[in-house]
Amino acid sequence: MYNEMYRDEALRREYREIAEWIAQQGTDTLLTRQAEADELFRRIGITFAVYGEGGDPDRLIPFDMVPRVFNAREWTKVDSGSIQRANALNAFIKDAYGAREIFRAGLIPESMITGNDAYLEIMEGYTPPLGIYSHIVGVDLVRVAEDEFYVLEDNCRTPSGVSYVLQNREVMSRMFPDLFVEGHIRPVDGYGDMLAEAMQAVAPPMCDGEPTLAILTPGQFNSAYYEHFYLADLMGVDLVEGPDLFVEDNRLYMRTTRGPERIDVLYRRIDDDFIDPSVFNPDSVLGVPGIIGAMKAGGLTLVNAPGAGIVDDKAMYTYVPDMIRFYLGEEPILPNVPTWRCSEKDDLGHVLDNISELVVKEVHGSGGYGMLIGPTSTKAEIAEFSQKLKDNPGNYIAQPTLSLSTSPVLTEAGLAPRHVDLRPFVISGKTTRMIPSGLTRVALREGSLVVNSSQGGGVKDTWVLTDGGDV
Amino acid sequence: MLSRTAEGLFWMSRYIERMSNIARLLDAGRRMDALPQEPDARSTEWASILISAGCRDSYPSDLDDANQANALAHLVWDEDNPSSIYACAKAARSNARAVRVALTSEVWDVINQTYLELRDVYRLRPISRDLVGFLDWVKERAALMRGMIASTMLRDDGYAFIEMGKWIERADATARLLDVKYHVLLPSAGNVGGGVDTLQWMNVLRATNSARAYRHVYRRTVEPRGVVDLLVLNRISPRSLITCITQCLLSLHEVAGFEGAQSDLVNRLQALQERLSTTNLDAIFTYGLHEWLTDFIIEVNNLAVAIGDAFSFHPPAPATLQPQPQ
Repeated sequence: MYNEMYRDEALRREYREIAEWIAQQGTDTLLTRQAEADELFRRIGITFAVYGEGGDPDRLIPFDMVPRVFNAREWTKVDSGSIQRANALNAFIKDAYGAREIFRAGLIPESMITGNDAYLEIMEGYTPPLGIYSHIVGVDLVRVAEDEFYVLEDNCRTPSGVSYVLQNREVMSRMFPDLFVEGHIRPVDGYGDMLAEAMQAVAPPMCDGEPTLAILTPGQFNSAYYEHFYLADLMGVDLVEGPDLFVEDNRLYMRTTRGPERIDVLYRRIDDDFIDPSVFNPDSVLGVPGIIGAMKAGGLTLVNAPGAGIVDDKAMYTYVPDMIRFYLGEEPILPNVPTWRCSEKDDLGHVLDNISELVVKEVHGSGGYGMLIGPTSTKAEIAEFSQKLKDNPGNYIAQPTLSLSTSPVLTEAGLAPRHVDLRPFVISGKTTRMIPSGLTRVALREGSLVVNSSQGGGVKDTWVLTDGGDV
Repeated sequence: MLSRTAEGLFWMSRYIERMSNIARLLDAGRRMDALPQEPDARSTEWASILISAGCRDSYPSDLDDANQANALAHLVWDEDNPSSIYACAKAARSNARAVRVALTSEVWDVINQTYLELRDVYRLRPISRDLVGFLDWVKERAALMRGMIASTMLRDDGYAFIEMGKWIERADATARLLDVKYHVLLPSAGNVGGGVDTLQWMNVLRATNSARAYRHVYRRTVEPRGVVDLLVLNRISPRSLITCITQCLLSLHEVAGFEGAQSDLVNRLQALQERLSTTNLDAIFTYGLHEWLTDFIIEVNNLAVAIGDAFSFHPPAPATLQPQPQ
């Protein structure tokens, strides 16, 4: 098992400063400071609600104070690999709703999208400004060895979590300013500008002059409301809700105290199904009737565009390396985890034979639900899941159990290794780029591989060192 | 600014104001409770406090039997009572959360902390043991919110809506307080003009933070006309009706346009302000204080509704639900 703090048996240079700092402070002091950090999070109001679980509606995501560190060389790989992937994904989505060249080339069966719940017929023939469907892509990565990263999944709908990246850094730099004095840690301050610039760059055809930006939230009872607020505040734009908005002559307006004001680019943080009751779910009160028509007529740009979720499922995921080769003519910088498609007969056989060593996931599942981790499951659980697989093979994929890397976390007994993953956020506008950091999620239970915040995962500040910063 | 944001700020501010008004009322109730009484006199202090808080209808049992314990239960903790301190703190926070983009982090922090402390600390212990300390805390927190708003927020449209919420709520509270004193306490005390009466007027002043102010301004014993003058007509009182309406008008000018409903609203508030500027104590008492205050309370509530209409606090119903002309 790869522990990111060490190289062979020795402490990595990248972690030397942190190790010294921890030794200096002592575990007791740090645990006290940890409680202070929690208080800070609560005061700032960075909370997270888990649907349907009851309890405190303002739950904190546990924050671990030991930062996770990437050196410049490692980050170059993560950065270029994630950007490459986002570019290919966007090229694919545009193609899928347009010319469909990749299907004609025989690389992907067309049934993969026509039978896909996330596919929206209404988007056919719509080419968004700059051809970008997914302006913010979250790429979930895991690491198994010093130079071995895998992409676990892609999130092209409305990936969340970036506010934690920025706030984790804010809390760390507020509580431990000394750590940042040396200046080896690349700052993350550029996110707001980066996102605003990308949104401005995709202003719709009808917009002349400076586009007006806004963020659409389902409201304060949504689990990610803090993030919606945070991003609106960061960019200095309005945070709007469905009832604030209306469409007239294919333009979107918000109701203000001085009358209607036009919105040109809307970063919507509600699901496709709810965005336009006149087209999708008629019962939705979160969305705006006519908003899809306005978008298609060129009066509005939606960020991310509806229908971008076609690449998010785990069956489509298996084709992303092909997309990279097909659209970009490049080899994938970050590989996929080897994946068996249970829809294919040979693969299914292999999966059923080896299920106790595999991770089996629902194609459309997310949040760590609806999956089987073979090595940690009982015989009965495996038998039950095998039956589900046989009943509906197309609904599942399987992957080898990866030995996820660990990063040290602070526990009552001092530092202890826990499994981590990483979600960098790629932003596409005139250029495709990302800030030098990402969301590190950590499985706080010893031995656990499930990092999802809905299942007890925590977060860490994620550092990227400047070139030479690890010396 | 977004109409919903304006509405959220307006109500956040009303709840902050209401929270401290209720705390002051309870403080007055506590003091009245401690006054000496004739043995067979029926105690109506807590009923009058509940009515003055606007809780005649929300109070779940017989007002005549109200005592400190059940008044506190209803006015401090009852979540179903939109005027309880707890409900106010919660609603102020909920509104603040919905419009966080329009607030500074300092303002959000103090509003959020107040609610959390109320929920996680005070609610878990009997406040009656240190009622004075608790009420002081509530008043301090509300003052801290006001202070943070005043010292950190931009003087933009949002600030104007916060101001309007504060003055509307305060006008309503001051008027109700005066009305209750005149109509509920006097008959039941059966002691008009006597020592108890003076003490009760004194408590009206205390409930509006005006006891010392009265001395400074009038330099004489507390008597009804002075109290009404101070709390209705006196421009230097921070809680008098004329101050509330004048300040509300100033803030309205900041945000209102020159035509349509917003212009009508300005005219209407202006008319009320002029009525207050030109009337005097004799006219009010001749008309009847209760009748005069009732008219005023109704007009203030109509104005609050008109503010919501003029600035589109409530989005219009979807076009499909409106009757179609034939």
